[in-house]
Amino acid sequence: MPITLASFLQIDLPAMLAALLATVSCGLLGNFLVLRRQSLMGDAISHAVLPGIVLAFLFWGSRATWPMFFGAACAGVLAAVIIELVRRLGRLDSGTAMGVVFSVFFAGGVVLMEQAAAHAVDLDADCVLYGQLEDILWLAPTGLASLLEPAVWADMPREVTTLALTLAVVSAVVLLFYKELKLTSFDPELATTLGFPAGLFNVLLMVLVAAVAVAAFEAVGSILVIAMFICPAAAARLFTDRLGRQIWLSLGFAVVAALGGYLLAASAPLWAGVPSALAASGMIAVVAGALLGVAVLFAPRYGALARAMRLGELAEARERAAAEPLATNLSNR
Amino acid sequence: MALAAGLVAPAAPEAAEPLHAVATIGMVGDVVRNVGGERVEVTTLMGEGVDPHLYKTTRTDIARMLQADIVFYNGLMLEGKMTDALVRVAGAGRRVHAVTELLPESFLLEPPEFAGAFDPHVWMDPTAWTRSVEVIRDKLVEADPEGAEAYRAAAEAYAAELQRLDAYAEEVLASVPEERRVLVTAHDAFNYFGRRYGFRVEGIQGLSTDSEAGLRRIEELVDLLVELEIPAVFIESTIPVQTVQALVAGAAARGHEVVIGGSLFSDAMGAPGSYEGTYVGMIDHNVTVIARALGGSTPERGLNGQLAMRE
Repeated sequence: MPITLASFLQIDLPAMLAALLATVSCGLLGNFLVLRRQSLMGDAISHAVLPGIVLAFLFWGSRATWPMFFGAACAGVLAAVIIELVRRLGRLDSGTAMGVVFSVFFAGGVVLMEQAAAHAVDLDADCVLYGQLEDILWLAPTGLASLLEPAVWADMPREVTTLALTLAVVSAVVLLFYKELKLTSFDPELATTLGFPAGLFNVLLMVLVAAVAVAAFEAVGSILVIAMFICPAAAARLFTDRLGRQIWLSLGFAVVAALGGYLLAASAPLWAGVPSALAASGMIAVVAGALLGVAVLFAPRYGALARAMRLGELAEARERAAAEPLATNLSNR
Repeated sequence: MALAAGLVAPAAPEAAEPLHAVATIGMVGDVVRNVGGERVEVTTLMGEGVDPHLYKTTRTDIARMLQADIVFYNGLMLEGKMTDALVRVAGAGRRVHAVTELLPESFLLEPPEFAGAFDPHVWMDPTAWTRSVEVIRDKLVEADPEGAEAYRAAAEAYAAELQRLDAYAEEVLASVPEERRVLVTAHDAFNYFGRRYGFRVEGIQGLSTDSEAGLRRIEELVDLLVELEIPAVFIESTIPVQTVQALVAGAAARGHEVVIGGSLFSDAMGAPGSYEGTYVGMIDHNVTVIARALGGSTPERGLNGQLAMRE
């Protein structure tokens, strides 16, 4: 199927914009999650939204997007806050806290659904909440000239504007509290001694993560969000010890994954001979995973290759030292 | 732009370009093909064995929808999230029609607890599906008025065929002993079927295929099978077989033998090109398999003698 300018503007541009905004928002927050060993927050929230969806449905009796979104956002934020509380009050590690809370939330959602007889209605998160890049269409533009008309821009898909707003809020909060977030991520005890309420900033971060996750689920689906909270930041972490540099690198990876993955998925019929395009969000997550793989192997200092070489050099030096006759050592004295 | 160019270039009058139609599911596509005849070229997005509740739209599907002259989909949330894209395409002023949402609400079943959330599996009742034939006919006439006569004639012939199908179903299913008219299947796709032919319908999963079967539900159904001495339960072409096997095992443990009566086509038709790959063939297959497994008498190979009847 030939890609014309109009079809690019109508199908590909809005999807790529949504993918970019979602991956950059998730990638940005992912940096702090990776430092705090809470990378699976995205996955936890993807399960924790279920009771919110069911309750919203019972309350409004409709599967329209807004009630579902609202219910999911409330459940997501609540779960994030409870995870933080369980972690602090129960003195559990964050993996355990996330595991406990999201499974209880998810199970609660299932029980609610059965009890409320909502099982008679199609209420999968897959169907009512999770969106898809392919469904984000911007049918107003017909050519380059039409991009100058404000009416065309007013028709920009809701998902794209929501994600743009989310990214703006997240960037503003990160910029504003960068020092605090950095300190509380690396050394919460020190932060508390210095007078920064580490607990408060944890909760703030968790709320941001929940909001971004739900907004992004609704636009691009769960798999992309889960991958993007982890891969770009983890890959960037392997390249540098400085948080500032790590964040910029992770944003770069997020952009490469979003655009590269989208283009690979869309052009699949051309190069792979499969009859139809592949799922874009899946392909973006795959590219992000591949980037992480490359980083794990080839990062200059922390990559597997670099480490192996360093180990080799070390062993060689030891051997050399051992092989040198004692006499030389003595005579060198 | 492409549209404007198409209008300017004079089309050769004798070899008129067919109307390009896109249908989401096979059951809709088959009706469009029958009503449209040679004037309409139909592309169906979801193929054999595909579960429309969970189908993920591809870029190719979207491009096809945007290039089509007319798009038909089932509606009532059957297509899950693809509905968003369909509504968007419709919002841009294109011909996009949900065949069930144009049916009168009195034809639709809704779970008693929730008004407004309708059961989408309308095609299971040929008389209800006849109404969607009318919808498709009217929309094709609107899009291509020159073919009005051809569409009306074809729709009438096809409706007659559906009537024959309905009469066959009624006759064959009436041969099932009354106390055995219970249809136990993998998910709740057969409510319209049950209403039309007087069957009690029990699905292991709910309306959607994604919810897991609860243990309590399995137990309830085993009780029912044992109590009413139902001889067979059914699997569906789009759903894994394990939960139904759990029923068979559960009943066996209570000393009641239940067999898997066959595989039914619920949310997708059979292979393209085969008889079961048409709407009539699909319903014929379901009706014949159900009636035979529950003790009714049926012709060897169905209504038109074309069923493959492979197990």
